[in-house]
Amino acid sequence: MKVNVGDTIPPWTMASVSIEKMKTMAAILRDPNPVHWNRKTVAAMGMGERTINQGPLGISYMVNMLQAWAGENCIQHMHVTFPNPLILDEDEIIARGQVKAVDEDGLVYCETWLERNGERGLIEAEVTLNLHNKQV
Amino acid sequence: MSESLTNLIGHQFPGGEYLIEHWENFLLTDCTGADLMASGVVHPIALFHVPIIGAQTSIAEMFALGQAESDSSISIESYDWHFHSPLKENVRYSVTGGVIDVQLDLDEGGRRYDLITFRFEIAGANHPVATTEVAWHYNRGTTIGAHQSES
Repeated sequence: MKVNVGDTIPPWTMASVSIEKMKTMAAILRDPNPVHWNRKTVAAMGMGERTINQGPLGISYMVNMLQAWAGENCIQHMHVTFPNPLILDEDEIIARGQVKAVDEDGLVYCETWLERNGERGLIEAEVTLNLHNKQV
Repeated sequence: MSESLTNLIGHQFPGGEYLIEHWENFLLTDCTGADLMASGVVHPIALFHVPIIGAQTSIAEMFALGQAESDSSISIESYDWHFHSPLKENVRYSVTGGVIDVQLDLDEGGRRYDLITFRFEIAGANHPVATTEVAWHYNRGTTIGAHQSES
């Protein structure tokens, strides 16, 4: 795959963030925080009756985008930040990314982010991909 | 109270082992909306919970360790993940982890928080597999203003 600085990574869409997935994820993570599985808890916080997506699930949408584009096992490093990570059930979230640099060793440096209603700033990541790292 | 949290630097969790079974990877991957990967490779997002549970700690214990005032008082600074090789199903990994840094600071609104950074390492039989650093804000109720001292 030929990659150039400035290339746009094909976006990946989560059409509707699911409370059922959040419930399963809470069990896998052993995360006791009810904001991820009880809408009434979130409502009591004055944030509406929608559960709050786990941070790792938000990250996973960027991972899915990167792996769909560059292949499984392509991710070497991720530095993820959370400017405003409030993603709620039923949100449509789009993962996007762009190539920022490419080196001679096949490492590709990208910035990735999540968008809701065309606005970014939910979760962002600086990512290093190794396009030669296909072995498992 | 927060000043004493610097004593956490160097705290080590017991450490242990973790084996990701197929059912766990299946459900985890399904939560992300992706298809299951080939050859028993685990979805990379496992690098959040596998180190925590494998090191014999938990999100709840990590909250308590930093004296979180409530679950909702925690916010995320960053996650930093290095993958040396892919995680695979049915492989027994060894996991170590602990607290590597604690800093007391003020947010833009003048509210105090402790920034606690945890580091975990996952290893296979004879090789490192992944490392992760988790940096969380433990937000405190006190707002003292950016230019005021607490009194």
